[in-house]
Formats: sequence, structure tokens, C-alpha cells
Amino acid sequence: MKDLIAYIAKALVDKPEEVNVTEIEGEQTSVIELKVAKEDLGKVIGKQGRTARAMRTILSAASTKIRKRSVLEIIE
Amino acid sequence: MQAFEFEGKTTEEAIENACRQLKLTKDEIDVEIIEPGSAGIFGLVGGRKAKVKVTTTGEEPEPVEETNGVAIAKDALENILTLIPMEGTTVSAAQNDGTIALNIEGDTSGLLIGRKGRTLDALQFIVNKIVNKALEKRTQVVVDSENYRQRRRESLIQMALRMGEKAKNIGKPVVTNLLNPHDRRIVHMALRDDESLDTKSRGEGILKKILIIPER
Repeated sequence: MKDLIAYIAKALVDKPEEVNVTEIEGEQTSVIELKVAKEDLGKVIGKQGRTARAMRTILSAASTKIRKRSVLEIIE
Repeated sequence: MQAFEFEGKTTEEAIENACRQLKLTKDEIDVEIIEPGSAGIFGLVGGRKAKVKVTTTGEEPEPVEETNGVAIAKDALENILTLIPMEGTTVSAAQNDGTIALNIEGDTSGLLIGRKGRTLDALQFIVNKIVNKALEKRTQVVVDSENYRQRRRESLIQMALRMGEKAKNIGKPVVTNLLNPHDRRIVHMALRDDESLDTKSRGEGILKKILIIPER
């Protein structure tokens, strides 16, 4: 899950080396925290949050696969 | 493929000019003679220049970049599918007119399509972003699975026609659900030729409704 978000984020930003993803696993729900360079924040959020929404949609499809729930948090 | 016109005293000279300016060999261009050219009387009076139309074939810088785009797009989608992880799916890629078409094969569950194609649209959006970040030229990537795009298209056209009929019958505008730009385009196009109907998008943001208005 974590690797999936890390891959997508790194492909979108200008500073992939500053992408940092952590996963906090709960019993049913995992929280995925995504941190990027300040300048890249807009790139992972997108116009009207479109990019963030697309990542969340892909994440939830991936979670369905393993019968879990995941939440993506973008940390400022 | 690009077309250019060149002139010279003779057709040979025109072709040579073309090769020199385009920095290509004769083998890399297609030549069509527009004006054969004539020397005129004693090569002095009434001579006409030879004119040729040259179309570049073979490999020029642009197509190379485009093939690259296909590779980047395919790679990105494959990586995402591997990380989901979707076992047993493969991606095939094709390119036509600057559009890269990626097709996911082997997702029998429909997981990658999602409700109303939402997951497929998300994948397409992300792959588009990745490709256009890597390429300078704006390129469109379409991601499909299980022929969803075609099926969606057909059902939207059906819906548009049905709603159009309804609008005419009741003599009042009818309104669709919220649609994304691509789907809206299909609806507008489906009713474009119907002179007794007018279509308008209504709303803010990416998703809008379409108003189908009967003309009186």
C-alpha cells in the first residue's frame, strides 16, 4: 500500500528524494501518510484536489483487494 | 509526418535542396512533383522553376519521442498494477495520432474499473500526469480495461437519446446526472445533429450536469 503511494508520488513531484510515506496500520484501517517537499505539495494535491482524489481512488481499489480500508493523508 | 515544398531549376535540384534543408537523405523522403519545370527557350526566356512536395518518412525526432511516451505510459501503469497488486494482468499499448492507448488485460473482477469507471479514470489521470511530466509535448493517454470505454460510450449515447426523446415529449428540459468532461462530450455529440434539441452544461467544477432543452 505504502509502496504504491510512494511510487505514484515520486513520479509526480520534482523532488522524489523528499517523498516520505509512512503507514500506520490499524486493525481494519490503515492510515498512509504522505510527505513531500513544500514546493511539490501542489503536485500531489492537484487542481481542485484532483490528483489527491485519484490517488485515494486507486488506494481504495488496492485496499479492496486485500479486504482492508486505507486512508491517505497528505501531511503539510 | 510533415510536408514541405521546395523549388529548383530542375526537379533533381529541387529534391537536392529539400534534402539539404531537411538534413535528410533521399531515402528518407517521399517526393511528389508539383511542377516539372521547364528550361524555356535557350534556357533564357519563360523558364519555370520545378516545384516538388516533400513528405518526410522514416524516423524523425518527433516519433522517437512519441514511442518513448508509449514506453513511459506502459511502464507507469504496469508498475502501479504490480504494486496494487494485480496479479495476472498485462498491459498492451498502442499509439494513434498523438494519443496513447493502454489496455489492461486480465482483470476479470472489474476492480480496476470501479463504480462508473472511477478507478479506471483515476489510473488514467495519474498515468497522464506521469507521461506529461516526462514529455514536453502534450500527450493524451487513454486507459481501458475489458472494453469499458466502448461500453460506457454506448450506454451514454443510449441515455442521451432516451432523455432527448423525453424532453421532446414533455416539452420541458431534462437534466442528466453529474458527468465528467469526457462523458459530457459524448452526450453533447450524440444530440448535436438533432435540430429540435439543444444541450448545455450546468454546474461548477469538473463534474457538471447536462441540460437537454427541446426547442419550440
